[in-house]
Amino acid sequence: MRKEWEYLLDGVQKPARYTGGELNSVLKDKSEVKLRYAFCFPDNYEIGMSHLGMKILYGLVNKRPDAWCERVFAPWPDMEARMRENGVPLFALESGDPVADFDLIGFTLQYELSYTNVLNMLDLAGLPVRAAERTGLTPIVVGGGPCVCNPEPVADFFDLFLPGEGEEVTDELVDLLIAHKQKGSTKLEFLRDAAKIEGVYVPAFYDVSYNPDGTLLAVTPKETAPAKVKKRVIADLDSVYYPDNFVVPFIDVVHDRAVAEVFRGCIRGCRFCQAGFIYRPIREKRSDTIDRQARALCESTGYDEVSLCSLSTSDYSEIESLVPKLLSWAPQENINVALPSLRVDNFSETLMEELKKVRKSGLTFAPEAGTQRLRDAINKNVTEEEVLKTCRQAFAGGWSAVKLYFMMGLPTETLEDIAGIAELAQKVVNAFYENPDKPKGKGVTVSVSVASFVPKPFTPFQWEPQDTMAQLEEKQKHLLESVHTKKIKVSYHQPHTSLLEGVLARGDRKLCAVLEEAWRRGCKFDSWDEFFRFDAWTAAFDACGIDPAFYANRRRDFSELLPWEHLDYGIRRAFLESENQKAHQSLTSPNCREKCAACGAARLNGGHCDAI
Amino acid sequence: MQFDEIRVFFTKTGMAKYISHLDLMRCMTRALRRARVPLWYTEGYNPHLFMTFARPLPLGVESLCEVMDVRLTGEMTFREIKERLQAALPRDITVVSVAKPVHKPTEIAFADYELMLYTNSPDALAAAIRESFCRETLPVLKKAKQGRRRVEKETDIKPNILSLEVCGAEDGVRLSARVTAGDQNNVSPALLLEALLPDGGLYRHADILKRRVLLEDGEPFC
Repeated sequence: MRKEWEYLLDGVQKPARYTGGELNSVLKDKSEVKLRYAFCFPDNYEIGMSHLGMKILYGLVNKRPDAWCERVFAPWPDMEARMRENGVPLFALESGDPVADFDLIGFTLQYELSYTNVLNMLDLAGLPVRAAERTGLTPIVVGGGPCVCNPEPVADFFDLFLPGEGEEVTDELVDLLIAHKQKGSTKLEFLRDAAKIEGVYVPAFYDVSYNPDGTLLAVTPKETAPAKVKKRVIADLDSVYYPDNFVVPFIDVVHDRAVAEVFRGCIRGCRFCQAGFIYRPIREKRSDTIDRQARALCESTGYDEVSLCSLSTSDYSEIESLVPKLLSWAPQENINVALPSLRVDNFSETLMEELKKVRKSGLTFAPEAGTQRLRDAINKNVTEEEVLKTCRQAFAGGWSAVKLYFMMGLPTETLEDIAGIAELAQKVVNAFYENPDKPKGKGVTVSVSVASFVPKPFTPFQWEPQDTMAQLEEKQKHLLESVHTKKIKVSYHQPHTSLLEGVLARGDRKLCAVLEEAWRRGCKFDSWDEFFRFDAWTAAFDACGIDPAFYANRRRDFSELLPWEHLDYGIRRAFLESENQKAHQSLTSPNCREKCAACGAARLNGGHCDAI
Repeated sequence: MQFDEIRVFFTKTGMAKYISHLDLMRCMTRALRRARVPLWYTEGYNPHLFMTFARPLPLGVESLCEVMDVRLTGEMTFREIKERLQAALPRDITVVSVAKPVHKPTEIAFADYELMLYTNSPDALAAAIRESFCRETLPVLKKAKQGRRRVEKETDIKPNILSLEVCGAEDGVRLSARVTAGDQNNVSPALLLEALLPDGGLYRHADILKRRVLLEDGEPFC
């Protein structure tokens, strides 16, 4: 941070959010680089610094001598107020330079409720929020991350999007922008060339037209844009860049530890889960690579914990050999190995024994639905018996607290399914007391956390109506009435935020105006309960003449053109349609290792998928 | 377990002044791990590095005289510890020296601070400070604990300020102060400013530097 702006920090919460200077943060001489990249996370420092994708791309760009990547987070409202009062623009942490002076401004879009923060950060940087009003070659505003699988609600604010994995395309884009800066090109000339790169989506190069009923009529490419933009996929995770150090924050952040990525994609195909589809095909790292990368990170950061990262750690085919490898060096260096995302059905006894060697953390299961019928409908192939068996094992091993994650508002759900949540939790409580070796004098706590289901693009449920707020409130009430013991603690989300998330997730370009209106009415940090202003959002929808129910609560027909269908995430539409139909018949599909469902994702990777 | 207590003297300047005491402990733990200095871990359920700091430094204050004690369990020269630790620390923390502890942290009696107060009217600010310091007493509300209750107690800190130099500059006022330090009668720079400028508001921003800590007889703490 610049010395002349330091007075801003007097009296703000956690000033170290804004100072930079952390271990392994990268300083360069700006006169010696050709391109400056501001990597922006549209939420606060503690959330943003926990994000693995930022760490990968930060290291990747900074490896180049000709480019310098810096970090930018959304200032907390107390700091933002001080900056606006004093006319100080949004600045990057490493150099303290204003973000508006950068060549590339990249936002990672991890969740829909961070969109207003993107607008607020552009504005705080002193830039027009709409791409069309930023006429110079630089800065180019780029979006990446999972939400880019349907970027239409933010299409007007970005110059381009990078669907898929960023490691290769980032380098290609940096090369291209350096070349165009040297040539003195216009922004249009640069965008024309950028649109020719595979995995680059330039929203301004598509004309969107609508039917009288508000549904999409056509998305027509122009200029150099392809009819369909294919997401980028990294073929070989063993050779792709992975950072050997992380910036180590001074303040406590959400995930403050070394992270070793294990594999991308998921073999499960749970029908509600967007991540399970958009990161396909499966690509695994070899256990030696993971072990080496984990060790390098621990050495360069001094972290005392390393966590394995994937969508379902126990589905990693080399898990039984990886864990002993990690445990051969980590405990003697006082390093804890964390294995999140283990599944109930293949939580083997050997793995359980290995896990006992490391620090005991909480035990969390995600049955997602209360009855077997609904679990079959959402293809969460976990049985009640499996959940109870693992709980019994865990109770015998000394655990006395279990967390159960469920969803509410799933397609085909009835009040019977809701009562099933309470019944399953009760059976877990009973399992504790039936255990003859249960810890003496200890009670059991079963925490039931219920999220509201939000249908997402590129899932079999992309056509489904989301429950209305009234429906969700009724179900929440029914759940509370079905719980008869204080040993079960129930928590759930506010239905308002889920509604907004649902609208933005499956929205089209008409929502850009609503988003801008809501931001102008003061909406920001929408994912934070203390800042979420449903009244301002409702007013913004009204002002734009848009009904949120059209996006959230309407069933789409299979014949409808969806706003994200000009993006190709590999998954075939016919596969999603058949999965949707099976859901309505409560029929399960086998996981990808048991039987390939020919989802189509392998096509993006030369026909290769590690699940086959 | 055999171990030798060692003392690390370090500076915490620039942006490192915004690292809180708790965060500094975590930062030092990580740096010592990265440096692979053979150190003693507590042997409880959740082993952690044993380390103590002479006095916590308030957030936002730079220091040239920070002190941390750790316990060495293997052979390593002071010079090597210093070099390895320095290489493992973030930019704005610098190791001055590593040595065997001589004094107990409780023997610290005084601290020297330098304060730069930025203002557009340095003359008025300097006059206000001089005027305050000429008074018989300098009462402040000091936070204290009565059993479990937190209370505020009015205390006169005039006797705790051993010397104060006030020097006008172009963009502000520079103060050099020697005040008492320690568990009982510690005068933090914030408390000093509160006593000298009870109405506040006369300066924009303050740069505060802790220069040295001294024993009762005025000798340096080491």
